[in-house]
Amino acid sequence: MAEILLKNAYVIDPISGINGELMDIALSGSRIVEEASPKAEVIDCHGFLTLPGGIDSHTHYSGTKVNFGRYMSPEDMRAGRTARRGPMHITSGYSVPTTYGNSYRYSALGYTTLVEGAMAPLEARHTHEEFKFTPLQDSFANTLFDGNWGMLRALEDNDIKHAAAIIAWTLSAVKGFAIKLTNPGGTEAWGFGKNVSCINQTIPTFDLTPADIIKGAIRANELLHLPHSVHLHCNNLGTPGNFTCTLGTFGHVPDLNDKRQSLYATHVQFHSYGGSGWGDFCSKSEPVAKMVNLRPQIVIDMGQVMFGRTTTMTADGPMEFNLYRLHHDKWSNHDIELETGSGIIPVNYRKKNLVNSIMWAIGLELALLVENPWQCMLTTDNPNGAPFVKYPEIIALLMSKRYRDAEFATIHQDTEKRVPLPAIDRELDWHEIAVMTRAGQAKALGIIDIGKGYLSPGAEGDIAIYPLRIDDIDPSADYEKVIKGFSQTEYTIKRGRVVSRRGDAIIDGENTTFWVKPKVPAAYDMQHDTAFQELFERYYSVRMSNYPVQEEYLHRNHCIETETDL
Amino acid sequence: MESRDVPCPFCGCLCDDVFVTVENNRIIGVENCCTLGNAKFLSKKRLKHPIMRKNGKWVEVTYEEAIDETARILSDAMRPLLYGWSGTIGEAQVVGVHLAEEIGALIDSTTSVCHNPSILAIQEVGHPGCTLGQVKNRADLVVYWGCNPIEAHPRHMSRYTTYADGYFIDNTASDRTVIVVDIRRSEGAKVADEFVQVKPGGDYLVLSALRAMVRGKSDVVPESVAGVKKVQLQRVADLMMKAKFGAVFFGLGITMSRGKYKNVRNAIELVSELNRRTKFTISAMRGHFNVYGFNEVLTWMAGYPFAVDFSRGIAFYNPGETTVIDLLERREPDACLVVASDPGAHFPKSTIEHMAAIPTVQIDPCVNATTALCQVQIPVAITGIEVAGTAYRMDGVPIRMKKVLETEFPTDQEILERIVIRIREIRADG
Amino acid sequence: MNVTITFRNRRNRRNPFIPIEAEMITPDAFFNNKEICVGEGNRTVHLNELADVGIEGTASSVDEIEILIRGDASLVKRVGEYMTGGTITIEGSIGMHCGNFMSGGRIEILGSADGWLGREMQGGEILCHGDCGDYCASGYRGGRRGMRGGSVEVIGSVGDFACEHIAGGDVLIHGNTGDFACAEMKGGTVTILGDTSRVCANMSNGTCYVYGCAAEMIPTFEKRGTINHEGLLFHHFRGDVANRGNGDLYTARFTYLQ
Ligand code: SF4
Ligand SMILES: [Zn+2]
Repeated sequence: MAEILLKNAYVIDPISGINGELMDIALSGSRIVEEASPKAEVIDCHGFLTLPGGIDSHTHYSGTKVNFGRYMSPEDMRAGRTARRGPMHITSGYSVPTTYGNSYRYSALGYTTLVEGAMAPLEARHTHEEFKFTPLQDSFANTLFDGNWGMLRALEDNDIKHAAAIIAWTLSAVKGFAIKLTNPGGTEAWGFGKNVSCINQTIPTFDLTPADIIKGAIRANELLHLPHSVHLHCNNLGTPGNFTCTLGTFGHVPDLNDKRQSLYATHVQFHSYGGSGWGDFCSKSEPVAKMVNLRPQIVIDMGQVMFGRTTTMTADGPMEFNLYRLHHDKWSNHDIELETGSGIIPVNYRKKNLVNSIMWAIGLELALLVENPWQCMLTTDNPNGAPFVKYPEIIALLMSKRYRDAEFATIHQDTEKRVPLPAIDRELDWHEIAVMTRAGQAKALGIIDIGKGYLSPGAEGDIAIYPLRIDDIDPSADYEKVIKGFSQTEYTIKRGRVVSRRGDAIIDGENTTFWVKPKVPAAYDMQHDTAFQELFERYYSVRMSNYPVQEEYLHRNHCIETETDL
Repeated sequence: MESRDVPCPFCGCLCDDVFVTVENNRIIGVENCCTLGNAKFLSKKRLKHPIMRKNGKWVEVTYEEAIDETARILSDAMRPLLYGWSGTIGEAQVVGVHLAEEIGALIDSTTSVCHNPSILAIQEVGHPGCTLGQVKNRADLVVYWGCNPIEAHPRHMSRYTTYADGYFIDNTASDRTVIVVDIRRSEGAKVADEFVQVKPGGDYLVLSALRAMVRGKSDVVPESVAGVKKVQLQRVADLMMKAKFGAVFFGLGITMSRGKYKNVRNAIELVSELNRRTKFTISAMRGHFNVYGFNEVLTWMAGYPFAVDFSRGIAFYNPGETTVIDLLERREPDACLVVASDPGAHFPKSTIEHMAAIPTVQIDPCVNATTALCQVQIPVAITGIEVAGTAYRMDGVPIRMKKVLETEFPTDQEILERIVIRIREIRADG
Repeated sequence: MNVTITFRNRRNRRNPFIPIEAEMITPDAFFNNKEICVGEGNRTVHLNELADVGIEGTASSVDEIEILIRGDASLVKRVGEYMTGGTITIEGSIGMHCGNFMSGGRIEILGSADGWLGREMQGGEILCHGDCGDYCASGYRGGRRGMRGGSVEVIGSVGDFACEHIAGGDVLIHGNTGDFACAEMKGGTVTILGDTSRVCANMSNGTCYVYGCAAEMIPTFEKRGTINHEGLLFHHFRGDVANRGNGDLYTARFTYLQ
């Protein structure tokens, strides 16, 4: 087995309780081990910052919707083209890069694990196909259940176990990882061009409210003992005044799991808006962050907006349509029978635009006002708030008040009256950044047990070494150095092999897809449930037997089996 | 032996409920399938060995030799063109894209001669669409515009629209209104509740008029537009606005008539406008069973759905310039590899002449019109019958094609992989 | 500095129909003393392999560079791409994408130009004495903004989709246009002295004058009466109403497809 010995690594490993120690790390095969043999290849880290490989717990990089973002945007494709070089294939795309583009660029930033934010079960095969061509990162797929007819019917009957059984069958069938709810109820209503505007409003086609769906899914999730919690994109994304809806949603979340949160709320920036319209639009990051501070059962991610062009894509079909009406640019929509929806539009976040400026501030405020970094992950909801290549800038903004002020001076001047950001002095430290970009994700996703997010013996050999000697840098003042250092690793190591060196991928790589398979008793095996079969036969446009993602799509994979309470 | 739920490897409907009976490794029965699909399942003609032209005559050669010759042709070429792809699975298309990238080739698919304009239109204004099941369960209004499902997609109506049962549709016969728009009274017109006959080349104008009407601006529209009376246009616009869920399907009648992608763009913008009032979707009636799959594969690998030029080391896309017909008409390619399609059967004469003038290789199970243009043909196993793999239905739903027969023939993917290896060897030898 | 590039006959090359990609033929590249390489299919070759290049004098700014292109350049693409100053004169015809993204300087083509002349141009001038292919002064696929500034004058006729997505600048076409001239027009001024077809479809803004006949008028333009422009009577249309547009189309004559 190949061995590597990393010497003089300056390690921050929050899960193992290491906060800045100069040490050696030994790797054998794909894992971190106690010590390496003399045969090991030695890499001198020169005291550079060494972190567990980055984990993005919410990003859109694979599947139908993402590919359609590329398909409809030749202007974005030409904006990010790179040539074939060494083992690197050509890449295209800036905000929605090709699969190789995603993989190389994430690897250059030190990321080794990605969670696709929204996979429609019916089109899961597509997501898995793209995973295969994202070779330098392990993949997980959040699976959409917000408008799943089977689950909604079970919840209508208040039969949580039945709902859990349907979730279990579907996750195993499509090789998904976690339950994703996107605008629960709203995507189903969008099937007839409608939406829901309140979590307590009954949706048009089922006798349920979004709150019923969220609460039901959370309980079902815990019955199945899934590693991750329910992963929620709240209702009313992007609407002025939506923070009340967000607070209401958080208020419904019970604390059911002692190892992790019971609800992961994604891109909360887009859900922390005050005002009654665009005229009095303002930040409500304070009440939202306060709620998170009071409720350890909730973890959020930022969904930070950064200025410039990007492409928005979510399963939230009605929301994308509203954006289309605002921008009158291209609009794509793709409803998925019996399951969910999706929409895509390109956007350009501009500093001159007051609403965009406020959005930018809100994301940062959330990260700074949530006291516990384990409760707030760093994301842009890639590429919705910005392409992930902006992460180093976001890190620098969070670490430097001076940088924030300098940026603030360049945005719309009325922003000051609408946001609390200028008054926030907090500057995050290196350890907090490590939590918000890898350790916190590993915990929130429930994947520490499978070796993710830390660097002690037994862990996966996923490591990012940044050309940063942190004792020599004052991030508060030297924010440019922080940006530069996080933009390109010296080495990115994936499963015990160096995959990326100073920004270039150096081997082809081979990733692993992680998926869950809850062990359900025969009585709850939907495969043989006649009502469930009938739902398929009558209303799906594919046969039930052709629906599951076949083993062929899982070249290298790791199945996480869970014991259930069914 | 019987296989259930076999996807049909013929058209973009990708019906996945075919029942195939096999005896002694031969298909003896096909159920649920339409006549087009049936013919494909039951066809027996095929080329048995690789063939190569030597001194003007076809001779049988080994796979080794045919692959070697292909590799030499491709590695020698300065402007190689890799064309076809719609009749094979994604797994083979991936190898084709890598090959194109590696040798700096042009790669294009049959999309270029069918729904190329649909993609250009989508790239300008996006695409409000949905999966076919969504239409089946919800659509109370179906519009077929410039397409003839009865002939080209025989089961489209029974599986997804007019004759399909749906969750929110109590009685499919009475609850769905069908509008057909075409330049002539086609078969489909007979089942239509409203038939709109447009003068050839007039689709764009009619679509603009409908858009204005949906916006409530009927007053600007003249009394007659491209052969359609204003009263009928108003009736159609009202039907559309009244629908709870409208679904437009369009075909080559608008993509290939004058104005091409502008027609499609206008249709999409009509649908986007209608979404301000009710729910509407629009979908292209894609032809070959996996024509959409190639668009998907090339997009995730290179960023563009078709017509990519890798000659400068990056991906360049510009239909009109990098599209197969334009390239051949300008006589640019100096070698051509045709995979899983039959350009010889329907390309314009001048382009066929150029293909015949340059070294052209075909990978295909059968002798077809393209064979006559080739230097080499390499027969392969039949995708979707002898080879399993991924295809994308016209609405983007990926379906795994099945293998129901054993075969000795290599797959497209294997042949392409061997060509890549051979090219690398040739290059290493300098 | 005077640069003379004389393309040699390519009959003896392996395939004379392979276009040459010559984005480096710009005053800027010569000013910066760059080694000029071009693409010939999937090979990259030195310009000298295909043309005789003569350089006389020196230049202290880009504007002092004059490039003269002789010989058959009808398959030479992307000449003048991103140029910021100086001049390029083409004695014969030129291939596709001439003057794409140019922001300054002047290109004069004594023969004809192939497609995409002045695509996404931002400034400077192009004068083409012959005809011009499709997509003259247009945008790129994906329908963002086409030409944004500068001027294009074509003495001959142009192909289809001329000025598609145009957002700024001035275009003057002495001859006729093909179908869908000024489609999706967003700004700028286009003057067509000859006839045109389905002009200004889906326009949202900008101004277009047609001195000849606008055949197959888009039926969703609002008639605003007639005006006198340079001593001639023009019908004034506003539209495209289907697209919530506010563009102005003035045409001497028009027909509908009824
Ligand atoms: S409609 Fe198309 S896919 Fe369905 S059976 Fe007929 S040919 Fe096959
Ligand atoms: Zn998201």
